[in-house]
Amino acid sequence: MADESAFDKKKSHRAKQAGRKAEKKKNKNKVDQSNLSARQRNPKAFAIQSAVRAERQFRRREDVISKKQHIPQVDKTPLEPPPIVVAIVGPPRVGKTTLINNLIRSFIKTNVTSTNGPITIVTSKKRRITLIECNNDVNSMIDIAKCADLVLLLCDASFGFEMEIFEFLNICQVHGMPKIMGVLTHLDMIKNAKTLKTTKKTLKHRFWTEVYSGAKLFYLSGIVHGEYLRNEIKNLSRFISVMKFRPLSWRMTHAYVLADRLEDITSQDLIRKDPKVNRDVVLYGYVRGVPLMKDSSVHIAGVGDMKISELSYLPDPCPLPSNEKKRHLMERERQIYAPFSGVGGIVYDKDAVYIELQGSHSHKKEDEETNEKKTLLKNVVETKETVDEQMQESGFKLFSGGAVIYPDMIKDDEYLQQNKKADSDDSDSGAESDSDSDNDSGIDQSEKDDKKNKVPWDNNSDGDESDAEDDDEKQGSSDEETIPVDNDISADEGDTDTDDEIQTEEDFGSKWKEKLGEKATEAYLERQKTSKNIMKLVYGEFEIGNKTKDKKDEESDDEEDEELGGLFKKVTDTQKKKHKEKERLDLEECTFFYALEKPNLRDWTSEANKQFLINNFVTGKRSADEDASELLKLDDASDGDEEVYGDFEDLETGEKHVAEETPQETGGKRKAEPTKSEILDKKMKLKAKFDSEYDNPDDHRIKGDHSYYENLKAEALKQSELNKSVFENLDNGLRIEVEGFRPGLYVRMLFKNMNSEFVTNFDPSYPILIGALNMAEQNIGFVSCKVKKHRWYKKILKTNDPLIISLGWRRFQTLPIYSKIEDDLKCRYLKYTPEHVTCNMHFYGPMTPQNTGFLALQSVSNNTNEIKQVGFRIAATGSVNEINKSTQIVKKLKLVGTPLKIYKKTAFIKDMFTTTLEVAKFEGARIKTVSGIRGQIKKALNKPEGAFRATFEDKILMSDIIFCRTWFKVDVTKFYAPVVNMLLPVGAKNAWQGMKTKGQLKREKNIKSDANTDSMYTEVNRAPKVFKPLVIPKNLQKGLPYRFKPKEKTLKLPGKNNKDRFQNRIAVIKNPEEQKVSSVMKMLKTNYEKKKEVQKEATAQRLEKHKKQMELEEWRKLKRQKELKKKICRHLSKMGNKKKPQM
Amino acid sequence: MPATIHNDLLVYKGSNFFRQRLLLATLSGRAIKIEDIRSTHDDPGLREYEVSLIRLLDKVTNGTRVELSQTGTSVYYQPGILVGGQVTHNCSTQRGIGYYLEILLALGPFCKEPMNAVLQGVTHSALDVSVDKIKAAALPLLLKFILVDDGLELKVVRRGAPPLGGGEVVFKCPVRRHLRPLQWTKWGRVKRIRGVVYALRVSPTMANRVVDAAKGVMLNFIPDVYINTDQCRGSNAGKSPGFGVSLVAETDDKTFYCAEAKSTVAGAGEITLPEDLGRECAQRLLDEIYRGGAVDSCFQWLLALWMALGQKDVSECIVGPLSDYTITFLQHLKEFFGVMFKLEVQRSGSDDEDSDDEGVTPASKIKMTCVGIGYVNISKRTL
Repeated sequence: MADESAFDKKKSHRAKQAGRKAEKKKNKNKVDQSNLSARQRNPKAFAIQSAVRAERQFRRREDVISKKQHIPQVDKTPLEPPPIVVAIVGPPRVGKTTLINNLIRSFIKTNVTSTNGPITIVTSKKRRITLIECNNDVNSMIDIAKCADLVLLLCDASFGFEMEIFEFLNICQVHGMPKIMGVLTHLDMIKNAKTLKTTKKTLKHRFWTEVYSGAKLFYLSGIVHGEYLRNEIKNLSRFISVMKFRPLSWRMTHAYVLADRLEDITSQDLIRKDPKVNRDVVLYGYVRGVPLMKDSSVHIAGVGDMKISELSYLPDPCPLPSNEKKRHLMERERQIYAPFSGVGGIVYDKDAVYIELQGSHSHKKEDEETNEKKTLLKNVVETKETVDEQMQESGFKLFSGGAVIYPDMIKDDEYLQQNKKADSDDSDSGAESDSDSDNDSGIDQSEKDDKKNKVPWDNNSDGDESDAEDDDEKQGSSDEETIPVDNDISADEGDTDTDDEIQTEEDFGSKWKEKLGEKATEAYLERQKTSKNIMKLVYGEFEIGNKTKDKKDEESDDEEDEELGGLFKKVTDTQKKKHKEKERLDLEECTFFYALEKPNLRDWTSEANKQFLINNFVTGKRSADEDASELLKLDDASDGDEEVYGDFEDLETGEKHVAEETPQETGGKRKAEPTKSEILDKKMKLKAKFDSEYDNPDDHRIKGDHSYYENLKAEALKQSELNKSVFENLDNGLRIEVEGFRPGLYVRMLFKNMNSEFVTNFDPSYPILIGALNMAEQNIGFVSCKVKKHRWYKKILKTNDPLIISLGWRRFQTLPIYSKIEDDLKCRYLKYTPEHVTCNMHFYGPMTPQNTGFLALQSVSNNTNEIKQVGFRIAATGSVNEINKSTQIVKKLKLVGTPLKIYKKTAFIKDMFTTTLEVAKFEGARIKTVSGIRGQIKKALNKPEGAFRATFEDKILMSDIIFCRTWFKVDVTKFYAPVVNMLLPVGAKNAWQGMKTKGQLKREKNIKSDANTDSMYTEVNRAPKVFKPLVIPKNLQKGLPYRFKPKEKTLKLPGKNNKDRFQNRIAVIKNPEEQKVSSVMKMLKTNYEKKKEVQKEATAQRLEKHKKQMELEEWRKLKRQKELKKKICRHLSKMGNKKKPQM
Repeated sequence: MPATIHNDLLVYKGSNFFRQRLLLATLSGRAIKIEDIRSTHDDPGLREYEVSLIRLLDKVTNGTRVELSQTGTSVYYQPGILVGGQVTHNCSTQRGIGYYLEILLALGPFCKEPMNAVLQGVTHSALDVSVDKIKAAALPLLLKFILVDDGLELKVVRRGAPPLGGGEVVFKCPVRRHLRPLQWTKWGRVKRIRGVVYALRVSPTMANRVVDAAKGVMLNFIPDVYINTDQCRGSNAGKSPGFGVSLVAETDDKTFYCAEAKSTVAGAGEITLPEDLGRECAQRLLDEIYRGGAVDSCFQWLLALWMALGQKDVSECIVGPLSDYTITFLQHLKEFFGVMFKLEVQRSGSDDEDSDDEGVTPASKIKMTCVGIGYVNISKRTL
């Protein structure tokens, strides 16, 4: 612990240098050279033996070094930083208030009776801290985690870590981890020394796993007389005052204010009329993070988005001591400032200083008073005040009203004011320049300037209104001309310029048209001169601020008045200004330098003009600090400090140079001859350059060639120096305009139209965190993020169940939809969050930059039963991925149809769609049967509505079911409700309940949804299965072995079983006679059959023989015929041949 | 003229600076209303080219809402999220492509996906900067802010002269999470002059005559002058005849000044001599060099925009005298983003001494200093 050693400075031990002891030690340390190896004796000789090992060593070293490197960040801590926010967090009854009291006592040696809200104290010469206690509400825990720089996490050691502590640590991790120091209290409750030791150890290790190993854990051993031990508190306070902080990315891009004072400045009259009227509330606090811009919108945690209607800074109520050189803080410099706790006697306001007297009642108490008499009396007192205010206001109005009635007087006033302003301008402090009155004078001045410039143009602009085009052009040129005058108004030159203009003006009267070109050229030359107050030229109009509208009205009044006055309209200055604006209103937009007028450019080729330009080219002459010869001379001169142009001998040539009286020769002529101070400057510059190159005080451990990293670091360093130095010498008012309210300033913010509940239900124990919103962050859109259910949260989260999300500065309730990103980057809808992996989440909410962490809760109410049931309140954590104005989440949809008719590979499908239009939309879509046959939707049929023709890759069956798989877009519900816990009544601030889940509502109203009839259990009736008889084909039967053959061919007669059948049969038994007869008959029959068989065979043989004979005969016949045919053909052909030659 | 604010809605009057206002509204995410657009003119309401601009903005954004009044004299514009990606736009021929391209250039780094835009129309117009100028002077400026050039490209596919146009350019721009702060107080000296002369549907000798004239002027100052001629033919030459020149002066600190001149529209009656054109362009370039500064005067507003949109760090640049357009732009920046520039007139000490000797007064330089508003590209997706 480097920190510990910082203040643990004891006299270090000094070893004996001489004497017996020293001798002994020397001998002991002496190494016996005899039994050393060669390597040990001479390590250098063995430096590199293996290239591989050397390479490994090198690689390891580089790894270690690159682990140490962090991306260099531009250091944005201001010169006078805001107080460090030290939050004291812990479950109830661990001793938070006691710790705060003790800390305050140890820092500023005073007792504070009540600790409410933030308490700012000066702890050392360069450090202030703001102590704030966090109550046991998850809303405050979140807000505190967002603004705390250092957290003292209190834990009752006799009980162990409670859920709140883990919850808080989780909140911290999500919103940017502040420094966390654990503090164990109630150690005296553990009596046994051994248990104490083990408890400490286990708690320490548990704490380390949560924060980081080695995180500081303090032990406050016990309470004596209601206080912790003094030296323990002292140690703790020392730790606090030397703590270093790393910038957190969210807070390095956003400004925020932890309000430590609140004031309701609504007029009592309005409140009396309607106690619920919207209030004007002023909040005070230090700006933290980055500079706060004047017209940025902010989010007040627990209230909502607001616009700061007035922002100004006040003198620091708790300033750091002056820069005198001294070691300790003076007693009077140990200041404390805690308006909510009623300490810090002096309170500064915009225009007054209040000294709080002990025992006098504060405003808040007065509000609560109900006694008639007292209020009446108070009203008298208060009305006096309000009358004053009203007087002031009405005075203001009178003044502006006067402008209507007495324009001349007004002018005088304006002159007066202007003079006054000019006088006071330099002496004005920034705070005053922000105030209204100064702004007004600002307008007047700029307005007046314009008037003065426009006088010469009166005639022209009136007379030639008809000629629009020319007028445009002329107006453009007049613009040109007014500019330099505008700028030089204070200088003498300005006057002469205007004179000139008036002169030229007279010439112009008649024939200005001819001179248009010249005019433009003149303006063009004018433009190239220096313009002095360029800021006013550009931003002159802006000091008007909110008053613009009123002015407009006034002007219109002016007009009317004068029109009524006479027949001729008198052209006033304001009208002229308006006219000029009107002319500009509808011009063509053009980025060119000479937008619409075309001046005659200078002829740059002429010798005179060439001189202006020649040095802008590389061939031209260079300025003194760039010109090589000049630089050389400078070098010579700096070398010559010791021996100015002394004698020396050129050793090569042997030539001797003797010092000449050079100064006389060159000094008179050259201006660029360097003086001593210049040389000194140059030397310092060189030294700085050298230092920056070679000194690396922060981590000199990093060595080697890390030029890329070094360059990055140098760049960041340069930028941070520039950031600090560039506005240092600027006037404070202007600086704030340019830079914003830098961190460390104590600001006063006025919010108009705040809910009255914010004031009436105000509880200082809840932190008021005002976070600035950057560009586009006040807009609302669809946020897509990745999210993971917390592993300690017992339930899984359901899509479209309301969820409270803490993102950026905000806490809000919304309806998220979970999804999963498929491989084709499609977001597929999920009904529930998966258990242990991240999934995507979409919700409608404020746009927040990517990678911002968030956490989700299902409820923020502090119902103990509920907490006990849930155990851990943080439902999920995640970070923002993308922001869009629409979402693309899809859900699977299966359309089912059945075949109507089937042709070969074509089928008509019904029941998938209901109308032809639907079918038309799905033409060409892929479909599939259950059996896997793929197909395509072709065209709708007109007969059954919704049926269509489809083709498949194979013939489908009538029993097939056809699917069409499509995606259905799911919309995210547009619901966004900020958690407005600050507006709830004092006792019930932790009972915010937004939208309830459907389940909750049903449970409350005792509604039970009807079960799906398909899912209901019904009695199962199973009919006995009847099988068909087994039929064995005849052929098969034949082939079967005997034992498998069906044994009997029973002819079934209905209603009779086998036994009956056999019963009815009569056995026939023959007598011997009959037997004889039948055997004879049998024999005869057999004989006969044999005879028949033989006969049959003989017949067959005969037939065959006959057949053969017949065939032979046939064949012969055919042969004969063939020959005959041949003969005839030959004969015929012969005849033909004979005939032919004759032909 | 400053805007009036009705509960966070900026209300402007008049058609001038229509483009600025839409651009800043898109970047800041604030809704605006523009009233009295040419309400007193014979031809009231929005022009075709302005409607075309709204269309283009609608193409590169998601969730933009535009409401036009019946007469077209008032517009309500609620910007959405910048998307970018593949965009094809047929620009109105009333204005040049530069009118639209400058907007895309300003929006390009802040889109969700890298922009790849194809714009068709008039590449060289009298009222707007030409595509050559943007390519030569504005892209290097953007490069200063994004530092790494991965796919920043402007390709002139076809040139098109007014009135019919027929040109086409392809613009590609990478996306960035945020811009770097920029310190640019030295711009060096002009080291070379380059240029392009294009001749569309006219005799090629025209181009050569322009080159000769322009070169004649520039050679008085520096020997390193090289001017290309681009004689387009066929479909590459667009639909109307015309010719013109753009000259670029590059300094040793990578500042580019660019001047251009073009012939009058065909059939207007006047005839432009190529020699006059060349000389005029050279004079304009010299004027630009005289004014000096870190950027060309046409792109001062882009510089101001990107400086203001940087991280919460100080940026400072020195530019030549501010143009009217820039002044209005600075006012608009103040209204939309609340960012105010510190403007100082710069006097360089050593130059003054020289000027005493020779009577040379350099043009006034203005040092612009501002703290970026910490603008981050919220539309980009992180995985």
